[in-house]
Amino acid sequence: MERIGEIVATSSNSLTAVSFTLHQPPALGSLVKVEEGRRTVYGVVSFGTTTGLDPGRRVVRRSTEEVFDAAIYAEHPQLEKTLRTEFAALLVGYCGPDGRVHQHLPPQPPPLHYSVCTCEADEVVRFSQQRLYFRLLLAAVGELPPEQLLAAHIRETTSARGDDQEWLAAAAREVAALLKGDYDRLMSLLQTIEPER
Amino acid sequence: MPLDFAVIQPHIARMAAQAHTQSLADRLREACELLRSVDTDHLRQVLREREQSDRIPWLVARPREEVGAAYPPPLPCSDFSVVASDGSVIPPDRHSPLRFFVLNTGLARLTYGQRPDAHLWARSLFCAGEEDLYINAAGRRIPVEDARLGLRMALEELRALFEAAQEAPANGPVLALRDGSLIFWALQNEEEAVVRHFLPPILDSLERFQKAGIPIVSYISYPGAQDVANSLRLLVCGKDPPHCGQCAEASTEERALCRALADFRDQALFLRHLQPGQRSALFDSTSAILDRYGEQRVQFFYLHTGEEIARLEVPQWAMQDETLRGFLHAAVADQCRRGRGYPQALIEAHEEAVIPSTEHRLVEQLVEEALAAQGVVYVRSAKDRSKRERGI
Repeated sequence: MERIGEIVATSSNSLTAVSFTLHQPPALGSLVKVEEGRRTVYGVVSFGTTTGLDPGRRVVRRSTEEVFDAAIYAEHPQLEKTLRTEFAALLVGYCGPDGRVHQHLPPQPPPLHYSVCTCEADEVVRFSQQRLYFRLLLAAVGELPPEQLLAAHIRETTSARGDDQEWLAAAAREVAALLKGDYDRLMSLLQTIEPER
Repeated sequence: MPLDFAVIQPHIARMAAQAHTQSLADRLREACELLRSVDTDHLRQVLREREQSDRIPWLVARPREEVGAAYPPPLPCSDFSVVASDGSVIPPDRHSPLRFFVLNTGLARLTYGQRPDAHLWARSLFCAGEEDLYINAAGRRIPVEDARLGLRMALEELRALFEAAQEAPANGPVLALRDGSLIFWALQNEEEAVVRHFLPPILDSLERFQKAGIPIVSYISYPGAQDVANSLRLLVCGKDPPHCGQCAEASTEERALCRALADFRDQALFLRHLQPGQRSALFDSTSAILDRYGEQRVQFFYLHTGEEIARLEVPQWAMQDETLRGFLHAAVADQCRRGRGYPQALIEAHEEAVIPSTEHRLVEQLVEEALAAQGVVYVRSAKDRSKRERGI
């Protein structure tokens, strides 16, 4: 488990966190968690962005013929302090003091300023054993089309589970059932989780 | 819309037309030619003679190098740090029942080279004590406000800047930058008690930089100074002492240039004289307050930042040391390049210093709450309340 960010906005269905490392939000669709006493809240990373710390300051061009990309950050060390990377996560479940995993929205939002952490592979395996939370992801209203977010989550989880093709097939069947009335969205999702892609 | 733009607009157009006439452009070219070709020894001699015979009616600059010279920046060293400070104040509020002020010093320390790093922070000071709010002048209380508050802010900036400079990484030289002038000429209009209150600690701060070998540079963007133009004017004028009111004898041509020089800022001359990155000759300011600066007497030069002409004011010990002078010239030119025309460290220090209006109001609210806890109701002036309410 690694602390990767601090919650700066929280609600019943999502959180926003400032990433501890510039330009490195957790992967889109990956499972993250917030530990709060004896409760652990789980979320799926739904968005990432890097902007100026002060909304009143405009990001300006810094590159020259000789200085570009990573060299810009050595040439302008203040950028590390004046830019920030944020990510959002949709809440998909929690684990209470009894150790049971619940795949529905937590009773309370996670507290502001608490740490967001990565989940180890065994935790991802444990949480994704059931897939009831796919409905929460598909119903989400956010910056990305929900089926693309769910596709990213399925790719990340398959990989975290050690390229678990059995799980991938079960997830695809689950998605087919959820989107049976929407052929276009279903196909757009399935095309992005096919193993050969 | 409170302003009647129909009335204002024609005046703006007339003003703009007058500011850019062909004859003014010709005069500026002449003035630049004079700057390029002036015999520096002759100018020094004229300045000496005029100073001996009478007071010169204008603030002039004494050249320390060839007036027409232009120096390119030396190559900056690879590892160095720049620390900068800038200040922002919440001044005492006449409409408030309590007298206090808040000083916020924004600080930036940027390190370049092998291990680039940045540290940005601010230091806040809440001042409500008698010794902060008033200067004691033989029993009389002189309030610290307006220009005097500016001096207090400058002192805090210098102190914080020195501490920040000392914490800079040891691998490479350190440049200390602050916004504004190091020539605190506002003191000339103050009574002796005020001068004695502010000047010794300011000079003491500058001396600490000297002992640490850290060049301290005051940076003035788009300077309004005319010291160099005024010196050239003495050459054109030829009167001893100059009496502008009775100047019918001078030839029309000379008088036109003399009058134009009275309006030109130094920056207008040096913008045509210098190439990006170059600095002008070094000058002594003749501001009267500098006679009390001793070893910390301030000298200045102009720098073409790539976007404009900036004025850099530096204590003489740093200007006279060739290594320090070269370093500060190169480092400030480099800062302006990184900051797209204005030193990056000063940009960041300013951002840290700014007190947003929401925080200003929060301070008032905290004072209100603290008073309420003591059972006192915070009553502002009726005028202030009406301005905040803006009832219709």
